Amino acid sequence: MQRWKNFLQIPKRINISPRLLLAAGLVALFVAIPLVYIFFRAFTGGADVWIRLLQTRILKLLANTLLLTAAVTCGATFVGVSMAFLTERTNLPGRHLFRWMLALPLAIPAYIGGIVHLTLLRPRGGVIPQLLENWFGQPVPTPSPLGFWGAAFILTLFTYPYVYLLSGAAFRSLNASLEEAARTFGRNNWRTIWEVTLPALRPGLTAGALLVALDILSEYGTVALLRYETFSSAIFVQLSGRYDRSAASILSGILITIAIIILWGELRLQGQARYTQMDSQWRPASLLPLNRWKIPALLLVLLVVSASLLVPVFVLGYWSLTALLDPETLSSIMRSGSQTFGDYIWHSLWSSALAALIAVVLSLPVALLSVRYPSKLSKAISRFTQIGYAIPGVVVALSLVLLVNQFLPFLYATPLIVVMAYVLRHMPQAIRASESALNQLSPSMEEASRTLGRTSLQTIFQVILPLILPGLMAGASLVFLTSLKELPATLLLRPAGFDTLAVRVWIWAAEGFYIQAAPAALLLVLASALPLYFLLRREQIFK
Amino acid sequence: MNALELRNISKKFTSAKTTAVNDVSLTLRTGEILALVGPSGCGKTTTLRLIAGLERPDSGSINIKGQLVVDDGHFTPPEKRGVGMVFQDHALFPHLTVFENVKFGLKGQPAAKARETTYGMLKLVGLENFGERYPHQLSGGERQRVALARALAPHPVLVLMDEPFSSLDADLRHEVREQVRGILKAMKATAVFVTHDQEEALYMGDRLAVFQNGHLEQVGLPEEIFHESATRFVAEFMGDSDFLPGTVQNNGIQTELGLIPQKLNIPENSSVEIALRADDVDFDQSDHPNALVLARFFRGAHYQYRLRLTSGNLVHAFKSHTQLIPPGTSVRAFISAEHQVTIFHNGLAVEAR
Repeated sequence: MQRWKNFLQIPKRINISPRLLLAAGLVALFVAIPLVYIFFRAFTGGADVWIRLLQTRILKLLANTLLLTAAVTCGATFVGVSMAFLTERTNLPGRHLFRWMLALPLAIPAYIGGIVHLTLLRPRGGVIPQLLENWFGQPVPTPSPLGFWGAAFILTLFTYPYVYLLSGAAFRSLNASLEEAARTFGRNNWRTIWEVTLPALRPGLTAGALLVALDILSEYGTVALLRYETFSSAIFVQLSGRYDRSAASILSGILITIAIIILWGELRLQGQARYTQMDSQWRPASLLPLNRWKIPALLLVLLVVSASLLVPVFVLGYWSLTALLDPETLSSIMRSGSQTFGDYIWHSLWSSALAALIAVVLSLPVALLSVRYPSKLSKAISRFTQIGYAIPGVVVALSLVLLVNQFLPFLYATPLIVVMAYVLRHMPQAIRASESALNQLSPSMEEASRTLGRTSLQTIFQVILPLILPGLMAGASLVFLTSLKELPATLLLRPAGFDTLAVRVWIWAAEGFYIQAAPAALLLVLASALPLYFLLRREQIFK
Repeated sequence: MNALELRNISKKFTSAKTTAVNDVSLTLRTGEILALVGPSGCGKTTTLRLIAGLERPDSGSINIKGQLVVDDGHFTPPEKRGVGMVFQDHALFPHLTVFENVKFGLKGQPAAKARETTYGMLKLVGLENFGERYPHQLSGGERQRVALARALAPHPVLVLMDEPFSSLDADLRHEVREQVRGILKAMKATAVFVTHDQEEALYMGDRLAVFQNGHLEQVGLPEEIFHESATRFVAEFMGDSDFLPGTVQNNGIQTELGLIPQKLNIPENSSVEIALRADDVDFDQSDHPNALVLARFFRGAHYQYRLRLTSGNLVHAFKSHTQLIPPGTSVRAFISAEHQVTIFHNGLAVEAR
């Protein structure tokens, strides 16, 4: 009891505004909805369903999911860190260009990359096996993109940029003096990297790796495409095909529990990770000469860039051109049923933009509370509102389907429920952006405004908001970007006639019409590249 | 009427083990500049923030111009206190021009009057041609003056300054502080000025308040603080004093450097410490040395010598350039002060009998 009292005690400071606390608390309640409801449904799911699932599904799914998550996390960390090292710390030729090319795959949703690679590599009828067969006159065995290895390969290709960006920034922000100090103690270049640089970056890198892990746990499109069954795809099937909501809830409960454990680790590390140690004394560390490793390193980077960026973009571009030049394909792209291509674009844009706006507005009270009034309570609220990272799109969709049917039937089958899913799922990105923007704002700005006669509310509007606007825009761009790419929740929640670009790409590709899907996919990639470009320009390494 | 009254103010931060401000009482007359000085972490900045209303005290009360602004049951928020504050990092709003920054505090005035006041303030600080610039286009000294103009523009009853010169280079600091003191005096402003620099405090303050560990050690005129330090800490912090042990006798104080003929109001044989500054000590070369020259420092107008007495105690002495005594020389040190020296018993100054 005493512990709870301490926890809830508000430190005696000026103006810890009860209004702000209330607003932040309401946001926390809002994001808690799917979590609480899924757990409630999972525990009241009925013992028979539990037993049936335990006997038939759960162990297999658990093994599949954890295996894929571990493999992709390791792969993405290895690729991300080594690419960051090569472009930031060595004299790799063309490294300024490679910096961009290695970050840009973030604009390609993994399932679109998966569609491209699947079409190229599929064992029967894939472009490359076909070519080889024509060439040699007989079938040549090629690696299959289906199943575990294919999924691990493709997801690694499209998630390593998370680790790449974090470790690139970390490599840059590390002060040269740290490595110089190590060298004065008799370490050579490579031992310094191994003994000083990498350990110094470890908390940040681990946090990045855990973000990848969360991403894989919630991934639906790619694993469904490559026919590798994980919790996410199993829940999707239960929900869309069999309509067994109790089973779906139980599987979701287990999935969220795993994700929450990973998120908890990530949040703990966030506190220790310092990506920027830049002060006025900062100097970039010197570049290491690659010497005879120059050619192999260059080939390695080219390989990663080709597989994750050049090939997908080139193939999509080629298909798009083919589609646009063929009148029949073109007309089926421009209109299917009652919807036109313009509708898909419009649906994608407004739902993602509205979600970005709502997420940023909701993030403000939480960020203000946790940055300006640090206490155990405000920290707990801030961490709790990041729960969206741990709730996969299929689970958000499941909880909204169940909840809205029961309590808000007028919302059901409206696009607003899709927007709500985006907000719930992507709010953490807005909260982190708002918190980091506020952290960079000196508290004396607000204090100056107060001593010049402004109330705390006036200060927020006249001083804080104008100054953190770029940071808020960054958060909004992130939410926009990820909402644009969102697939499973949109598939499950969209009302009839509300197809987005992502949904259309998926439906066409699932029916085997790759050429037809290409223009929408390319447009989605380009539309994602724009906010990504804006975000990358804010980073030190992309100036 | 006093412009400011602090009564028994205490403040402890939840995260800290020690009390930041411990039972501090102060008064400030209208038109006076009070310098709060002490080492970092002594509570001077917290005291300033308590006056501004940026922190709330645990106990005690504050009156500004006769108006109660805080006590146990009442708290006036900073925006209602009518104080102006100059921040350590200046806290100029980067999204506003210099002119808009200075005008920021003139909300509620008719537009024409606010513009006129702003222009007048910019003129006073010599920046009338800088109104359209943004803070990042200014030098450190100019930013400092904008911050001051912004704080002064609403004609606050009290100006609070938190180490306002600490971000400036040493040579600029001297120039700016002279300007700032001139401006404050021209406006007849009442001001509280926080610094950790003794010399700056002596220059800026009409009176000084010396803090240590959240306690107020002494309040007084610069001369009083310097020559009549109330505690050993004040003498050490404000005057770079050395402390020589001595014993009270009937006719004075017996020390290693001879008898000091000052009679004290405490029992004989009590041990005391005598505060000695470099200008209180002199030495010559003699057959009966009692000290060794350890080091010599060039101080511009003169040399400062560090002497180790036979007992091991260190004292410092100034000498002109005419003599150059190399380190390692044995010398005879003596007290050359022509005024009464300050004497401490258990850390507190002892009154003469």
